[in-house]
Amino acid sequence: MKLYETTVIYDPGLEEARVNEEVDRVTQAITQAGGEIAEVQRWGKRKLAYMIGKRRDGTYVHVKHKSPATLIAEMDRRFRLNEGILRHLTVVAPKESPKTEEPAKEGESSEKAAADGESAAVTV
Amino acid sequence: MARDGESRSFRRKFCKLCFDKVERIDYKDDRRLTRFITDRGKIVPRRISGTCARHQSQITEAVKRARILALLPFTSEQYR
Repeated sequence: MKLYETTVIYDPGLEEARVNEEVDRVTQAITQAGGEIAEVQRWGKRKLAYMIGKRRDGTYVHVKHKSPATLIAEMDRRFRLNEGILRHLTVVAPKESPKTEEPAKEGESSEKAAADGESAAVTV
Repeated sequence: MARDGESRSFRRKFCKLCFDKVERIDYKDDRRLTRFITDRGKIVPRRISGTCARHQSQITEAVKRARILALLPFTSEQYR
């Protein structure tokens, strides 16, 4: 079994209890199918980079899990039918995933400025 | 001010990710990825950012995944 990373964006209108329920259902489905949960990360409510179906925010949940390949297709199908889910993505996790830290860290603003300056110099 | 010839300094470009010794670029790391998209949301080409081939292909994949998860924009809203 491969290690997968699944990220699901739930409707921000759902209460926390509902989201927990949904997440439990997903984790249960994985363990029932003979997989195992490596990690569950809740990123909470985040602003979306663009609107998805008139929503500006979404509740992000990120699950690392080992699952049989057949379950991935089934999960995908169920996510698509679930109206409380705005978006979902499952990818094969990198083999030796070194760090599992949550995103949004280390903003090296000076480097970003340098990169911007460079691109500006070429376009002008 | 001279426009083309002398005003442009020819500093050697280098891959900033190699410099930082980044092993793998994560699609969840949207802060890092914003450095490699333009204000319109396009992926910055190698010829401009100076990224090496290995890292550029990692960036491309990561940006595309991040876009699906609405961590990065497909396009900037104001240009729509």
